Amino acid sequence: MTTSVVPPVPKRGFGYWLKKHFFSTWLNSVITVLFGALLIWMCVKLSNWAIFDAIWTVDNKEHCGHGAGACWAVIQDRGRLILFGLYPYEEQWRSTLACLIVILTIGLSCLPSLWSIKKLPTLWVIGFGAFVLLMRGGFAGLPLVTSEQWGGLSLTIFIFSAVFVLGMPLAVVFALARRSSLPVIAKGTGLFIDLVRSLPLLTILFAAAVVVPLLVPDWLEGNKLGRVVVAFAVFFAVYQAEIIRAGLQSTSQGQNEAAAALGMPYWSLVVDILLPQAFRNTLPSTINQAVITFKETSIVTIIGFFEVMASGNAAIGGGEWTEQFVEVYVFLALVYFVFVFGLSRYGAWLENRMRVGHA
Amino acid sequence: MLTKLMKLATVASLAFATATSAQAQDEGVLGEIKARDSLLCTGHNGSYLGFAEVDAQGEWQGFDIEMCRALATAILGSPDKAQIIPISWAQRFPAIQSGDIDVIIKVTGWTMTRDTELGLQYSRPYFIGPFYVMSRSDLGAQSISDLDGGVFCVNAGTTVERVLADYMETNGIEYQPLAFEKGEELRAALYAGRCDAIAGFGPFLSSTRVNAPNPDDFTIIGDVIKLEPEGIVVRQGEDDFLDVINWMVTALLLAEENGITSENVDEIKANPPSATVERLLGVTPGVGTRLGLQDDWAYNVIKTVGNYGQIYDRTIGDGSRYKLPRGLNNLWNNGGLLYPLVLD
Repeated sequence: MTTSVVPPVPKRGFGYWLKKHFFSTWLNSVITVLFGALLIWMCVKLSNWAIFDAIWTVDNKEHCGHGAGACWAVIQDRGRLILFGLYPYEEQWRSTLACLIVILTIGLSCLPSLWSIKKLPTLWVIGFGAFVLLMRGGFAGLPLVTSEQWGGLSLTIFIFSAVFVLGMPLAVVFALARRSSLPVIAKGTGLFIDLVRSLPLLTILFAAAVVVPLLVPDWLEGNKLGRVVVAFAVFFAVYQAEIIRAGLQSTSQGQNEAAAALGMPYWSLVVDILLPQAFRNTLPSTINQAVITFKETSIVTIIGFFEVMASGNAAIGGGEWTEQFVEVYVFLALVYFVFVFGLSRYGAWLENRMRVGHA
Repeated sequence: MLTKLMKLATVASLAFATATSAQAQDEGVLGEIKARDSLLCTGHNGSYLGFAEVDAQGEWQGFDIEMCRALATAILGSPDKAQIIPISWAQRFPAIQSGDIDVIIKVTGWTMTRDTELGLQYSRPYFIGPFYVMSRSDLGAQSISDLDGGVFCVNAGTTVERVLADYMETNGIEYQPLAFEKGEELRAALYAGRCDAIAGFGPFLSSTRVNAPNPDDFTIIGDVIKLEPEGIVVRQGEDDFLDVINWMVTALLLAEENGITSENVDEIKANPPSATVERLLGVTPGVGTRLGLQDDWAYNVIKTVGNYGQIYDRTIGDGSRYKLPRGLNNLWNNGGLLYPLVLD
């Protein structure tokens, strides 16, 4: 006797999907309902606080902080302070423009078509040059603004990108030097990397800002921001060097030997064969390091720089808006989120793109 | 190079808190300031209630900032010549040794360690840092003893907690301490009526009061439970500069004592009521040359920045949002501790 089996009806649709994932057993149903209710309750509370009960303008300031919603008036009143720090009020358009130029430069250097030994450095020299000239002024009728007065988001972005751009080539040099066949160079670099890594970032920055002027002759002192950026870049470079070294080690020795057999010069071996693979293999860690560095820039507040976090603290530290610290921190979190999330998405996109043809 | 090494030695002694009394040999900061035509003075890395804060335009405001401006005016003739350098608490002493700043005016208490081991020198106190008690207005307390048996909210593990305990024990007042980890919690508890009173540094109490749903619900009681004299700090060995600072503070106090304000200083200069005022405002010469300044330096300070009382009112007193009572920072003839030196 044969039984005919009805072919299974392909189960589709929203209802089926919902049942399969959320209501498959009575226990799952209970959990779904409970957590769904909790989620909705939280969303309602949050949107009430952040949107519906919020106070948006300074004119309604007197209602702020009495159990009502968020007081976004603080952002209206102190937003420019948070974004620009101590930069002179009338000149803040320069800070905005400079900030946009650096963001544009970062954006452009993310385009693979510009990745070449000549184009990328040219782009950054132009980008940074424009940034510094605009921020500093002192020509063509723009008043001089010394780097002590730079602040807010432009300073954060400047420090981050300067550290990244200075630190990355330095990291490559460190990584290659550590793998050098000359023991003095290899051991020396290894010692240096371990030494710098064993010091807290705060100590290094403090030393660069405060102790270096006591040690070096005046003509070598440079300005404080410059010293801090260089010190930060070295700190970044020693970590990044280890990441790149890991990438270099992941390439097979056979490739080195093949290159040597073909008579490729060392420079070409490194630039054309090893580094592209090393960077591709270590992309997730590199993005990780970049994200950490972006967030660590807020440490410079301890040596008196008004980056965006310090400016936020200045905005709430004045008594007038003391109670609105939550709103200011939420705003700062959003600023950081935009940049860090952008960085992460770019990393993911890059990984995807590089995987094409490399199964 | 030698001076650099000497400075480094000072910073090293600072870092390791050794007992060496290194002396910075870099003489004549006053000369440097004049040559540079700006005074490098301390700000803050953020805002510090009432003393160094940044307003919405990114301009520095506050009591210490006004002192910087007064000093810049005395030496260079204009308050705009004060260049405010943002500096954290930890950074201020190394920064003055390395020459990043000329002077520290940053609510800096005069302690023996700082005075002796760090190679620093203090001016006479320009501000008496007070710890006060603030109570609920409906209790009608006139002094701390009226709050006997009350609940006092304090920040856990802070100086204030200890200072309050000492004061209460010394004065035999019973109280029930209620400790909170954070300033925000402390405020919330106070606003919710869980505390009869809180204790703290003056400006903190004032801002707590001002930000209350109804500020009049709370009153700062005049009794000071503890004080810390705050001085203006220069490197060891800057005697001329210190002279200028001390006489600048005296000029501010003398102006207040004689009722000279930024509004009426011109009138008073035209008709000086006393020989002291004549000397102060440079009508009879001498007040400037002896310090290496212009003879009208005190006049300029009073004209542009105001007298001590005006500065106080504008930044932390009745004219500001803090409404901190003058208390001990009043002149000697008004029940305070401040007095000018003798201008002869």
